[in-house]
Amino acid sequence: MSDFNPKIVAFVCNWCSYAGADKAGALKLNYPANVKLIRVMCSGRVDPQFVMDAYREGADGVMILGCHPGDCHYRTGNVKALKRYKLLKKTLSQFGINDKRLKLDWVAAGEAALFQKVVNDMAETVKELGPLHITGYVEQGGK
Amino acid sequence: MTNVEKPKIALFLCGCSTNISNLIDLDAIAEWARKREDIDIIEVHSLLCSPDGKEFFKQEIARNKPENVIIAACSPHQHEVTFQDLAAEAGLNIGHIQMVNIREHCAWVTPDKVKATEKAKSLINAAMMRAELAEDIEKQTMIANTDVLIIGGGIAGIEASLIASKAGRKVFIVERDISLGGEIIKTEEIAPNMACAPCLLAPRLSEVRDDPNITVITNAVVTEVLGFLGNFTVKIHKKARYVDDSCIGCDACFEVCPVTVPSEFNLELSTRNAIYTLFPGAVPAMAVIDKDICKHFIDDSCNACIGACPFGSINFDEKDEEIVAEVGAIVIATGFETGDPSVIEEMGYRKIENVYTIREFERLTCSNGPTGSKIKLKNGEEPTSIAVIHCADSLRENGIPYCSGTCCIRAAKVGELARKQIPDVRVINIHNDLVFTGPAANDFYRKQLDGGTEFVKTDHTSIKIYERNDKIAIEGAGILLEVDMVVLSTGVKPAKGTEALAEMLNIDIGKNGFFQSDHELLHATCASVDCIYIAGSAAGPCDVAESVTRAQATVGDAISKLVPGREIELEMMTTVIDEDKCGGCKLCITVCPFKAIEYDAEENISKVIEAICRGCGTCAATCPSGAAKAKYFTDKQIFAEIGGLLNV
Ligand code: FES
Repeated sequence: MSDFNPKIVAFVCNWCSYAGADKAGALKLNYPANVKLIRVMCSGRVDPQFVMDAYREGADGVMILGCHPGDCHYRTGNVKALKRYKLLKKTLSQFGINDKRLKLDWVAAGEAALFQKVVNDMAETVKELGPLHITGYVEQGGK
Repeated sequence: MTNVEKPKIALFLCGCSTNISNLIDLDAIAEWARKREDIDIIEVHSLLCSPDGKEFFKQEIARNKPENVIIAACSPHQHEVTFQDLAAEAGLNIGHIQMVNIREHCAWVTPDKVKATEKAKSLINAAMMRAELAEDIEKQTMIANTDVLIIGGGIAGIEASLIASKAGRKVFIVERDISLGGEIIKTEEIAPNMACAPCLLAPRLSEVRDDPNITVITNAVVTEVLGFLGNFTVKIHKKARYVDDSCIGCDACFEVCPVTVPSEFNLELSTRNAIYTLFPGAVPAMAVIDKDICKHFIDDSCNACIGACPFGSINFDEKDEEIVAEVGAIVIATGFETGDPSVIEEMGYRKIENVYTIREFERLTCSNGPTGSKIKLKNGEEPTSIAVIHCADSLRENGIPYCSGTCCIRAAKVGELARKQIPDVRVINIHNDLVFTGPAANDFYRKQLDGGTEFVKTDHTSIKIYERNDKIAIEGAGILLEVDMVVLSTGVKPAKGTEALAEMLNIDIGKNGFFQSDHELLHATCASVDCIYIAGSAAGPCDVAESVTRAQATVGDAISKLVPGREIELEMMTTVIDEDKCGGCKLCITVCPFKAIEYDAEENISKVIEAICRGCGTCAATCPSGAAKAKYFTDKQIFAEIGGLLNV
């Protein structure tokens, strides 16, 4: 299992976390190549279906990264994201997916080191969990 | 090239000098891409953002007319707009352009070149999957109203109105008091330069009065605000004055009015009648009748003012008025409120005679004040000693928790004002922290020290004030002294009604209760809703200079955004709701942070007001029927991106 490189999809909001990842890049703060980012305008844009779809398409872990509470470019989009996240966490176990495979965090535009840390931590966590084997239930979108 | 008439995708790979090309094998990517059916044009360029590169990019698009363009290069935060503009010039709709960040998110964070190249492929693949679902995005513009509503007629509101009017905008000032001037009109000298407040204000007040562009609506409150940037409809409730505008504010009627109550303007240190003005020379000049206490309205037993008025200005039949103003921008200049030290029991305020707030003390020094500018004790004598208590209600859990930053200099003014009248008066300022920011304020502090004010440090929360030997005793950690008069320096709180107004305008309030700016550093005077501005101390405690500066900033932004005859550009990447799919569940309305969605009861659907929508896409993530579509970030596009990213 030691050479298992988990695939991680991170949905990042355009204003803080995407910029935080840019800064991590500018500072050459490495993280595993299997961590891949998808830009959304706000963490509030992340539909739970995107998360489920990422697992279905082969992600072993999914992250949602947004602005710190109070800093959302759209006032409260991240608050909505947090609410959805809590619900989604509960739902995941019902699908037989360890809820550690989903992580929401706040990363500001200047927090390059934090960005590196949260993605590395997530990669570590998911590595320990091993590859995700989804059941037919998830494959069919929970129908 | 495949045999389609129009090339599907043009892929530009930028080496970013060697920033990318050294770390990612771009030739390998080009080769990989060439094998794909869906990609027709592949160009590797060493620096696409250089003048040469840009020209090349534009020419390629103009010549080949691809349906979609993918630029694998730096972060879109660096050059998305650059390439969008170039592509648009070459005739491609910006909905069909994607940047893939193979520099910051790939080359620079992946030391292994092979892995970086593989990652770049998957990022490009995701964009290619997405490209098939790209949709046009149209520029949206709107005609805007360019007039300005100002809520609050203090120094900030007045300044804002004059500037907006000079720029040719129509201005409405709504003031809840009966005349303009706000808080500053209650003082006469402003530290550090002891500038004369009435001299600053009087000419501005006359200018406002005489300006045909400015409509002053006093004794009035805003009751409803509808609409959005460039298109606000504001309802204003104007209370009847029962005195018409033929009144010049002479005092003929005051003398005959049999009713007296404490004067709000003089902080209850003197009285006024049921018919009154705040002070002689107010703008507007006309008096007002306080309906709640006037004997005519209570039991019809008095009409004295009618007989006394030389102009026939009294009109008991006047009714309240509802005024509707259509404006493009709103400036909040509602000011602040001074803290109330009676919440701190130990200060003895309102219990011990000759214990005043700083505001009250300043009224005693004003020529239109309760004592005709004489600093006097209640018994009519001059005080021989005055203690000024800093932070009387501030930096305490049970009072104002923060430092207002503006009260120390005002408290230090007491010595300056007192010595002018009573040269040998002893003035002791008792403080914990002392805040004099900037050279001018610091000079003022030194001047007070030289002038004889004693500054004594103690823990402000240890202070107790009580009566002893016909004097007032002040006891605190390490100090005990007796004085004739105490002045309590109070902090600055949000104005009454701040919360209700914020709710009406759908804007945010900060942690300390003041209106919250959209960005503290970059948009300090912009509220969280476009074209709503915060001037003066409505945004937080500030001195007169800053208050005026903030007012100027608000109008500067408003008039540069709203120009007569020019349409304003709106957010392009908004969300739209598909009428056929919408089930009218209104979930989107509950999550929208900007109240940008309205419900159409007749059709049972929700509709996005695109001028307000900022495109966060939260509604799209919530919509159970897939009716809400976030432009450029549609569900389908994101699903395609996920698939493309994970399955190369
Ligand atoms: S914009 Fe970053 S979370 Fe909303």
